Amino acid sequence: MADRADNRDAVLLAPIERTGAGFYWAVGGLALLILWGAAAYSTQFTSGLGVTGLHQPVSWGFYVTNFVFFIGISHAGTLISAILRLSKAEWRRPVTRMAEVITVMVLFIGASQILIDLGRPDRLLNILRYGRYQSPLLWDATSISAYLTASIVYLYIPMIPDIAILRDRLDRRKLLYSVLAMGWRGTARQQTVLNRAIAIMAVLVIPIAVSVHSVVSFVFSMTLQPMWHSTIFGPYFVVGAIFSGIAALIVAMIIFRAAYGLHAYLKPIHFRYLGQLLLVMAALWFYFTFAEYLTGYYGSEPEEMKVFWSKFTGRFWPFFWAMVLTNFLIPVLCLVRLGRRTIGKVLIASLSVIVGMWLERFIIVVPTLSNPRLPFGEGLYWPTWVEWGETAGSFALFALFYLLFTKLFPVISIWEIREGREVGLKEVEERLLTYLPDPAELGPAESSAAEVT
Amino acid sequence: MSRAAEVPERIVRGIQWGMAAGFVCFIGGIIVWIIHLIRTAWRLGDIPSASIGISLVAIPVFLTLLSVGFYVFWGLLTDRSER
Amino acid sequence: MARWGMVIDLDRCTGCQGCVIACKAENNVPAVGAKEAVRGRIISWMQVLTEVEDHDQSGEKMRFVPRPCLQCDDPPCTKVCPVYATYRNPEGIVAQIYARCIGCRFCMAACPYNAKYFNWYRYQKEGPGQNPDVSVRPKGVVEKCTFCHHRLQRARDRALAERRELAPGDYVPACAEVCPARAITFGDLNDPGSEVSRLAHSPRAFRLQEELGTKPKVIYLAEGEGRG
Repeated sequence: MADRADNRDAVLLAPIERTGAGFYWAVGGLALLILWGAAAYSTQFTSGLGVTGLHQPVSWGFYVTNFVFFIGISHAGTLISAILRLSKAEWRRPVTRMAEVITVMVLFIGASQILIDLGRPDRLLNILRYGRYQSPLLWDATSISAYLTASIVYLYIPMIPDIAILRDRLDRRKLLYSVLAMGWRGTARQQTVLNRAIAIMAVLVIPIAVSVHSVVSFVFSMTLQPMWHSTIFGPYFVVGAIFSGIAALIVAMIIFRAAYGLHAYLKPIHFRYLGQLLLVMAALWFYFTFAEYLTGYYGSEPEEMKVFWSKFTGRFWPFFWAMVLTNFLIPVLCLVRLGRRTIGKVLIASLSVIVGMWLERFIIVVPTLSNPRLPFGEGLYWPTWVEWGETAGSFALFALFYLLFTKLFPVISIWEIREGREVGLKEVEERLLTYLPDPAELGPAESSAAEVT
Repeated sequence: MSRAAEVPERIVRGIQWGMAAGFVCFIGGIIVWIIHLIRTAWRLGDIPSASIGISLVAIPVFLTLLSVGFYVFWGLLTDRSER
Repeated sequence: MARWGMVIDLDRCTGCQGCVIACKAENNVPAVGAKEAVRGRIISWMQVLTEVEDHDQSGEKMRFVPRPCLQCDDPPCTKVCPVYATYRNPEGIVAQIYARCIGCRFCMAACPYNAKYFNWYRYQKEGPGQNPDVSVRPKGVVEKCTFCHHRLQRARDRALAERRELAPGDYVPACAEVCPARAITFGDLNDPGSEVSRLAHSPRAFRLQEELGTKPKVIYLAEGEGRG
């Protein structure tokens, strides 16, 4: 097998073979945040949701915001991996594995946010026993289960050849790698099976992903509340999800590029392309946001305007305008010219978008609840240490899962990189030739024109 | 790159079959659950149309995932050909 | 089949909040304490809203609007409950099953009248001085006005024991019973002879946020000539 002798990609296996001090520092830091989160949740579990800042009317706050946010980030894997695979974009090769891992890990965190939000998590089985499909929460449960299953399958299948490399090369964890490698030997038939399965999954996972964030949006848009009951929510949330997903992916790529020395694989061109995608999503997100608020403003319905002004000039104006700044202005300024300092600009834009998209979820959830239709006072939501701790712990837990994954499996798909080297160039050249006009009967004018070109 | 600590083939195969069986049970469980929800809606007099509508999409999706999983499992493990 | 409804005459309501107190006493609604009240967690199944109308030449006008659960015939809250913990029973009462509620608070987010309340802590244990007919809610579940449904069960039991039909007036919720201005009328909207039916068709009748299509069964009578 070529991979035994091929040490060109040794750097991709290095994190699995050796562990440096940096890893332990990182785990230590994350563990502290997770401990904070765990302490926060255990307080909440014993005393009740009263330890948060939630009240009537703002009965949904950080937890639901985090839920939407984390599920949104899960769209990273789908877009990059599936769509780029289907469009045969060669630059996807070092990126797909990281994207797929984000999806799987963040779905666990995202789904658990809803569990954390429940007043009676001990009654969780009631969803199984008495679930009502008329409720958008059940649509969520089904859709997220489907997406989680599909993502795990879609992550695992392309990992099989890499696991086989680990099985053959490493001495540690022989049992794990042997089991997971599914008897991979790189035969032609196995390759066909693998490629076919990946192609099917790439097609299947896209509509599932779109459905996931659409049903998350339906949790809000299926109510009658002002600025929630909007038909744009489905596509709006999906666009926002892809937007935040790309940003998260870029940040993950930059972190691991630096930590594991992957500069040879994750080159500025990859970040340039992802940065351009991020720019397009920023414009698209802005378009949806603009359409949403313009419609509300033009109609001037009193209940909607109450919420509208609350966001624009009222209690929530710092968050709203911070959202516009971090979600649109900063990314666009950073990303329009990606010639020099590509990675720095893209990093700033991505971090900005992550903050901005979290703020966007917050701005959707809380102001509407804060301004009830009937003449109650405006709700004043102040999150407590419990909610901050839970948020920090969730981010840290996601980072920890991701980090542990990179210790067990290669974070860049080794066999796909090799495939790119061996067959990619030829395939692309053949494909390009099919785009060019056929050398059919040329008249005298065209043949001289053809000679000129 | 030593092959000293090879894991017995039987154990590996056993765990792999266990994983496959687990996957079948998992997907099967989800499908059973969805059908249970349809029956509950019917029994409690709630409109079952939502359940039926969703199950018409969800169950084929899960079955497709199961088929893909099994296709890979079968295709990789039962391939006795040489490189 | 009965369809229980309520008519509240805003011309008679003095804003005394007797209905609020009676409801709390009748239904074991916990007093959450001053600290929780400041944080916005008062549980008040019946709540008196104060609406201040826009200023005009004659100055501010205030109206008191007692707001129980409006017991909608097309409730937005039951639509979104994931576990059948809130549902509309055949007699039109939107019921709450405390033992099944998982505390997701979706119904709270969906109710356009904010008529649902949550037990953010375990606000009370079972103890003396409570109404034994009404269950004491645990922490983490949603609760709301039930038109004193336990009184309906008692009235039905009594009628059965006395071998007679349920008479109008046998079943009134605590708020209707207590109101000193007799602003709250309660009864069967499906009974064309009942007082509630007659008032529901009054030209002064209106429903809160009628345009949302929730079909609430608490009908208000707008102020009449007296307001000028």
